[in-house]
Amino acid sequence: MYPIWEVPHLTAGMVLGLIATFHILPSHLSVSAMWLNVWLERKAVLEGRPELMPFVRRYAKFILVFCYVFGSLSGVGIWFAATAASPRGISALIHNFVWGWATEWVFFLIEVSGIFVYAYTFDKLDERTHLRLGLVFAAASWLTMVVIVGILTFMMTPGAWNTTGAFFDGFFNQSYWPQLFFRTTSMFSIAAVYAVVVAAREPAGPARDFVVRAAGLWGLAGLALAAPCLLWYRASLPEAVRGTLDALLTPGLKAAMLWAPVVTALYFAGLAWRPRAARFVPALAAVAVLFAGIFAFERARELGRKPWVLPGYMVSSGFVVGDLPAKGAAAQLPRLASEGVLASAPFVPAGLRTVTDLNRVEAGRMVALLECSACHTLDKAGVRPLPALVRRVGLSTPEDLAAWLDGLGAYPYMPPFIGNDADKRALAAFLAKAAE
Amino acid sequence: METAALIQTLSDPLGLPFYPQVFAALMVLTFALHIAFVNLAVGTTALALWGFVRGTPEWKTLAGASAKAATASVSGAIVLGVAPLLFVQTLYDPFWYASNLLSAAWVIGFVFVMMAAYGASYLFLGGGRAGAAFGAAALLLYLGAGSLMHAFSMQALAPEKWLGWYAGAGTAATSGTALHAFEPLRFLHFLVPAGTAAGLYLLLRAWYLRARPDMDREALGRSAKLGAGLAFWATAAQALVGFAWLLTVPQALAFYAHPAFLAALAAGLALVAYLGKLALLDADPAGAAVPAAGGTLGVILAMAAAREALRGALLGRFGFSIAAHRVTVDWGSTALFLATFALGGSVLAWVLTLAFQAGRVEGRFTPGPRVAAWGRVSLGLLAGWLLVVAGYGLSVTLRARGL
Repeated sequence: MYPIWEVPHLTAGMVLGLIATFHILPSHLSVSAMWLNVWLERKAVLEGRPELMPFVRRYAKFILVFCYVFGSLSGVGIWFAATAASPRGISALIHNFVWGWATEWVFFLIEVSGIFVYAYTFDKLDERTHLRLGLVFAAASWLTMVVIVGILTFMMTPGAWNTTGAFFDGFFNQSYWPQLFFRTTSMFSIAAVYAVVVAAREPAGPARDFVVRAAGLWGLAGLALAAPCLLWYRASLPEAVRGTLDALLTPGLKAAMLWAPVVTALYFAGLAWRPRAARFVPALAAVAVLFAGIFAFERARELGRKPWVLPGYMVSSGFVVGDLPAKGAAAQLPRLASEGVLASAPFVPAGLRTVTDLNRVEAGRMVALLECSACHTLDKAGVRPLPALVRRVGLSTPEDLAAWLDGLGAYPYMPPFIGNDADKRALAAFLAKAAE
Repeated sequence: METAALIQTLSDPLGLPFYPQVFAALMVLTFALHIAFVNLAVGTTALALWGFVRGTPEWKTLAGASAKAATASVSGAIVLGVAPLLFVQTLYDPFWYASNLLSAAWVIGFVFVMMAAYGASYLFLGGGRAGAAFGAAALLLYLGAGSLMHAFSMQALAPEKWLGWYAGAGTAATSGTALHAFEPLRFLHFLVPAGTAAGLYLLLRAWYLRARPDMDREALGRSAKLGAGLAFWATAAQALVGFAWLLTVPQALAFYAHPAFLAALAAGLALVAYLGKLALLDADPAGAAVPAAGGTLGVILAMAAAREALRGALLGRFGFSIAAHRVTVDWGSTALFLATFALGGSVLAWVLTLAFQAGRVEGRFTPGPRVAAWGRVSLGLLAGWLLVVAGYGLSVTLRARGL
């Protein structure tokens, strides 16, 4: 186990969640926007409609700055935050999928060079070559999604990987295709929402109306196609995941997942019907609604895979609890159950390695840092605060709490307690003290 | 716990899907390109600021071009930084993760510092006093981000100190707000080449644009002279800083006698001599812009290889070697990457060729038949990639369902 990063009230995991959520805004735009832009540019070039070009240029500049300043860096930020929140989790993923990420990186290279050349050569390249360049960018950008979805879905449904350890058995898992189709169809709605933000700043006139109406229709089509894909995706999830989702999804997340698409669909329909009504502030509000919907989906995806980072292999605290003979990796569970977490984990203060009556509560806090802090704050308030959770369970003595820890694995979304009796009693003492 | 045992405990049990030497070669290559773009970003930002301060029309033109080049350079640095970031986690996971966790708040802060810096670089393009203020802010923030990354790298090289940093006070230091290691001479060794990069930018710009009849050849000639001088003096200073830094490397390693170091040293000194000739003797240094830039890239590559050799020597003191990683070869994903690297390289080269050719002519550019055909092939390659990968994916899916 690595050193722990404790973020007061928040948890490192929530920092990761916030950065990842922000990243959704530029990253989904980058994979989707150029399809709409190239379609409009094609109309401008092949159908002789140059009045569409001012929008096409502005949208390209918007993609360049928004996606490749904030998108690129927040993407790197996810890696850094994943390191800070779950170093063993990201390490396991990278050691398994390094070639997958390297493959995605090749497309990322094409994306970045492509958007710069595309955005700065409207007046420098002949129109057909420029169109082709836009298509190459759009294709490369979408292919990054084709790759990353394999890794994202693996984290919930690892397929036959637990048996074979083979890259493609994990990559093309049972939820890969549904999620790829869901993200691909819904990305057109995302492109449409942003397009209206840019178009709303254009001078009123037929060109603006055309772009807004087109965006509305693209958005509606995207939502209509995404809906069955979402159901297909849900059906592809294991029963246990669906059970966890039912247990953990808050009413707010459920409402956001239901109402964000409904409100967005009504918004698109309104734009298609009366494009002239498009305005900047409502367009920004639509981004906020869209964000709420995406956030809820991504959050649900994260909740559904609890307590796993890699199902069947590693739990959210970073401990390996399942063997993977194909790669020669063995579970840590049996060894830690005899030797103890405090005695074995490398980053433990020397004075806490052996539990005594004097250091029991402090040692218990160390166990909580190692085993609980990935998901729970140790503070009184914040993200899933341990003191409040213990009070809710209704147990107050270290003895009762130790017995409760024995049955922790019975909760479908909780990992089992990991460690020996001394670790457990120390943690129980800390929990009892924290809940006072 | 002994340091060697600590590293062993932290190492990821999943091993590698291919031979570590291949990942190391890719890491050295991509790191060299990454650091070249980092230097270009810092150098062109500083050059643009200097041009703004000088304020003459010729300097203003250079300042505008440099500021624009800086935005593209930062994007290049980011995208090229992703690959070595991936490979360092593949080969050196215990070191990278432990160092990051010890300063986790700064690791997250790095991302926001870079966002602010990059945003400021774009605002710099707006010009005027406000623009210059953003430019100055961008430069300071880039230096701040570089300092942080430098500290993370230095901490990763000192595994014997980790436990003391984390738990030396008797309790676990979990705030992640401390930075524990910084070597000013090593940091300078990364920073001074920004001058070389700015000089080479001026040289390359003059060489590139003088093919255009609408450009002021005399002004380009002056900027090329300036660039050659800047590249030479910065590279000479870099050599001096390098010797000073060498004194900080543990003498017991005898790194000064390591073949990788000696090769990098020889290449670096040859570059100093070549740039000196360009700056002090050549009447038309712009004509040598391409060999100068190519030679510099070669030296950066040699230095990156020497850096990797030094890391191996430093960590070898604790019994660590990347060659000891357990390898379970995964031919499928290895083939996926190598094929994508080859075909993606071709598509990337087409994009860059278009940019290169279009910028060199006045007005609108229509590519010749070969480049046009290359464009069609590029789209075909991407479509072909999708067909092959999706086809294979379907076969895996059907097999998993017993069909």
